[in-house]
Amino acid sequence: MIDAELIVEKGVTARDQWITVPADRIRDALSALKVDGYRLLVFLTCVDHLVDSSREFPARFEIVYQLRDLDAGRAQGALPTKSADLRVRTFVSGESPHIDSVHDIFPPANWDERETYDMFGVVFTGHPDLTRILMPDDWVGHPLRRDYPVGGEVVEFSEEHQIWQTAPEDA
Amino acid sequence: MIESPGVTVTRTGQQSAFGGEILTVNFGPHHPSTHGVLRLIVDLDGEQIKRIQPVIGYLHTGIEKQMEALRWQQGVVVTDRHDYLSPPINNLAYALAVEKLMGVEVPPRAQVLRVIMSELTRLSSHLVWMGTSGLELGAMSMLMYCFRERELIMDLNEEISGFRMHTSYIRPGGVFADSTPRFLEMLDKFVREMPGHIDEYEDLLTMNPIWRSRTIGIGRLTAEDAKVLGATGPMIRGSGVAWDLRKSIPYSGYENYDFEVAVSPDCDCYGRYLVRIKEMREAVKILRQALDRLPDGPVNVDDRKMLPPPREELETSMEAVIHHFKLFTEGYTVPPGDAYVAVESGRGENGCYIVSDGTHKPRRVKFRSASFVNLQALERMALNHMVADMIAIIGTADAVLGDVDR
Repeated sequence: MIDAELIVEKGVTARDQWITVPADRIRDALSALKVDGYRLLVFLTCVDHLVDSSREFPARFEIVYQLRDLDAGRAQGALPTKSADLRVRTFVSGESPHIDSVHDIFPPANWDERETYDMFGVVFTGHPDLTRILMPDDWVGHPLRRDYPVGGEVVEFSEEHQIWQTAPEDA
Repeated sequence: MIESPGVTVTRTGQQSAFGGEILTVNFGPHHPSTHGVLRLIVDLDGEQIKRIQPVIGYLHTGIEKQMEALRWQQGVVVTDRHDYLSPPINNLAYALAVEKLMGVEVPPRAQVLRVIMSELTRLSSHLVWMGTSGLELGAMSMLMYCFRERELIMDLNEEISGFRMHTSYIRPGGVFADSTPRFLEMLDKFVREMPGHIDEYEDLLTMNPIWRSRTIGIGRLTAEDAKVLGATGPMIRGSGVAWDLRKSIPYSGYENYDFEVAVSPDCDCYGRYLVRIKEMREAVKILRQALDRLPDGPVNVDDRKMLPPPREELETSMEAVIHHFKLFTEGYTVPPGDAYVAVESGRGENGCYIVSDGTHKPRRVKFRSASFVNLQALERMALNHMVADMIAIIGTADAVLGDVDR
């Protein structure tokens, strides 16, 4: 059973259940939820809330963990006893935000965390191999951040690209 | 250093169990059996695989970033292109997510048309899988047979949407257009003929001694491993777990259809093949039921703020002109919040997670792709197998690299 003090906030948006937990206790929260039956991590991702005036957010980066109870949805025909899906959200801030890795609790998180690091620059402490997964290893910046422009990248293997990639060191 | 196209070998100097040396072999990214551009770094002891390190990202096209720059209704076109073997299923995931956040329910006829397109896509996706996997394991003629029937599905796509591959047929608020009488005739003929064709595939493969010896006992993934690694689709059902989103978390009216979940307790490549064959038969069954019960009525929600008015109204109604203008200059807005919808594609759970900040463009769109997660199970499946078996294992994992890299 997840500790009540771990739940900062909970609610339902568009029929999806979610809870907010403190970022520094994420491992405790997810381990407790795994014991509760949420044994599958469907996906893990990040949302950049830079300049979003529609709602109030405690920090810029929201890390989202979508968990699923494989046995709750199995009650075919009958109503499931509890909702099969649960979204766990937590907030981190800073230029290179840090959060604990959960790859040992949920193995599918391994690549998801690498992708989130690659795209948002969120550092997962304790990850065995936190390297870029989709972008080239020498890429500068984290493309899915809201302050990273669309269409701003230079053509690879062009002369301009070479200058752009080496500039920070020479300067 | 030995080099041949697509394969590089590096000596590690480590002693192997049989007195030889462990070699690190680079496999791909441009290798015919990697289904696109998958690169694997494989440590070999003789011919035995000791470690596999998949390197992905060669087909990364920044689809999630592009979605943020497009309006809600424009994003559909991009969703077609990540898992390029099942466009309508990706459309469906996106459309359902947007509708969920907006609280919109599509009319019954649109729901049935969506099911028809999803099942046709599942069939065509499995046909491509079977054709190419057969080709890789020596059953050359499979490709000809499978692409013959896939062509019929392409014709059906063209008839209903105007496009053969990237249909963009399913959209938030309904579907692109109603089905034509010719489409229903073609579909009826297809549904009557398809079971015979599936029998043909089974004649060629199911008892084929070469196919069996290449797949039985190869790439074992136990039910527990499959669950822990988050595998979905034929990967988990081929390991004996009856998990199908169409049954477990039904969407688009799937709860009203009578079909079985294809499961095989074999846990190997052959089991995954049997699951896909069974799924094709079930897809035909669903198509037959959908065709029989296709209700009359509209195929789009009656909401002028979300979908353009009919063409003829533009000539008589000023309001229609205003709606039309607003929709194509600004688009519609989606209330702030987030929603996740998962659908069952040919490869497993393809989900769409959207976050809206209340404007006419998404704040974040995340695609949960089945291939990306399933590919993580590759090392577990291929350990201690031979190099040649790896081809069978990659084949039956059925990763679409566009979907892996997005």
